[in-house]
Amino acid sequence: MSDLKQIPVVAKETGKERTNPLANVFDELIRFAQARSMFMLHYCTGCGAIELPPAMTSRFDMERLGIQPMVTPRQADILLITGYVSIKTLKRIILTYEQMPSPKYVIGICSCTVNGGMYWQSYATAKKLNEYLPVDLYIAGCMPRPEAVIEGLRLLMDNIKSGKSEPWKDYYQRYDYYLGNQQHLFGDDWQTPTDIIGEAEHFGLMGPETEGEHTRLLQQHQQPLEPHKMRLK
Amino acid sequence: MMTLITELFLMPLVAFVIGLFMVLMMRKIGARLQRRVGPPFFQPLIDIIKFHSKETQISHGLIHDIGIIMAVGGYIAAETLLPVPGMDGIADKGGIIALTYFLMIPSLGLALGVGQCANPNGSIGISRALTAMLAYDIPFVIVIFGVSWHYGTTNLVEMVNYQQANGWGIVEMPILALAGLFTLQGIMGKQPFEIYVAPAEIATGPMVEMGGKYMGGLFIMQAFQFYTAGVLYTTLFLGGGENWPTFLMKIFIVVSIPIMIAYMFPRYRTEDMLRLMWKWPVIAGLIGLALVMH
Repeated sequence: MSDLKQIPVVAKETGKERTNPLANVFDELIRFAQARSMFMLHYCTGCGAIELPPAMTSRFDMERLGIQPMVTPRQADILLITGYVSIKTLKRIILTYEQMPSPKYVIGICSCTVNGGMYWQSYATAKKLNEYLPVDLYIAGCMPRPEAVIEGLRLLMDNIKSGKSEPWKDYYQRYDYYLGNQQHLFGDDWQTPTDIIGEAEHFGLMGPETEGEHTRLLQQHQQPLEPHKMRLK
Repeated sequence: MMTLITELFLMPLVAFVIGLFMVLMMRKIGARLQRRVGPPFFQPLIDIIKFHSKETQISHGLIHDIGIIMAVGGYIAAETLLPVPGMDGIADKGGIIALTYFLMIPSLGLALGVGQCANPNGSIGISRALTAMLAYDIPFVIVIFGVSWHYGTTNLVEMVNYQQANGWGIVEMPILALAGLFTLQGIMGKQPFEIYVAPAEIATGPMVEMGGKYMGGLFIMQAFQFYTAGVLYTTLFLGGGENWPTFLMKIFIVVSIPIMIAYMFPRYRTEDMLRLMWKWPVIAGLIGLALVMH
């Protein structure tokens, strides 16, 4: 793609005329609220998890920044992945991520999420997290100290406030790319309970690369979700 | 007529604002007991705005939506039955029996909503929550019966008037007041009795599938819940509201007692909670009742 015009650009929704004079004020308020109230779901996969308790409790006290731990993906805003991601774990992380309501943010803590870290040569570890999920922020280090974690969260906060942190839209708009990488690891019959394409259609988040060859493959193998049968053993 | 309509709007609104301050107080007390700084001043409100501004709101169906409306609406209806200084609303028409019924609506609404989410953690949570309701409602009903017998009325406005003329209920019925305080811990769902939330074990139980505006609705419900518990106890035992400054002081003190106890306790299992609730507050309540009725 030598020509700039060929690079696909997803246009912001311009169809809706904003008639409310206070619309920008509301947007500002919402961005402020989203930045100052972040509930995090910490998916403690590796050693980085040990740095979170001091960051949350009395030594560094994240709650003064409005950051709280939450335990279910439905209530969370941030998915915190603290350490190496094995292929088996990655499946669970993707399931968890897809259940979170948008806007949602992913933070990779420790070197292992950046490039595999000390597990670079492992056959069972996913090396780069941002090939499978849209990552907002990496906090590098082995392990990063709580100061670094809080510094990273403050950076995310600034990004949200200025409206720059929108990789979660990328997951809907370039779902084909992410799904392709996931299928490469998990096999062609990989599917999750969450219907990402359906959600993207419903909430107006479709992009040119939402659907492609990988989503077609998904639709070929997709089995309808059914409740488990009651069985007495 | 106009004043009544104004009051019906104003009373839930006042309750919501005071309730937010109570949530802030709870989080601040918790933080201070753990030697932390705690959340900023507007944190409870910011959380609610954030939850309602989520862009992909996943609903699990119609009953899920209605359940949350019932949970918040039950408390909004309950606020109009609670007399506050200067505003009676429909308190003198409803009385404490109607209020007791209204206080059950939120739990039942939540049960309906959680049922449609079809999450096993949610089902476990809500069955525990309803069992907990069964546990604290027995001493609660005994306390209400004793208080109504003592004042000779089920009308909350007349109870307040009686206490302002003859002295506070806590002086005349100390044992019933103690049983009431014990019950309050259960009504507010605070720590020794919060097995149905159990964040680490069943992922916040009934709230497990609630995200976005549904969780925002439950945060609003929590604000109402604290306010209702505080005002109800104040009306029954602490002379109700003469003027706003003393009234606010009373309800904040009442709510802070269960919160402080909560942050020092782990939790009981459901059957232990049932055993505890049906033993000590019921015994205290029956003794108090005997002293009132003799």
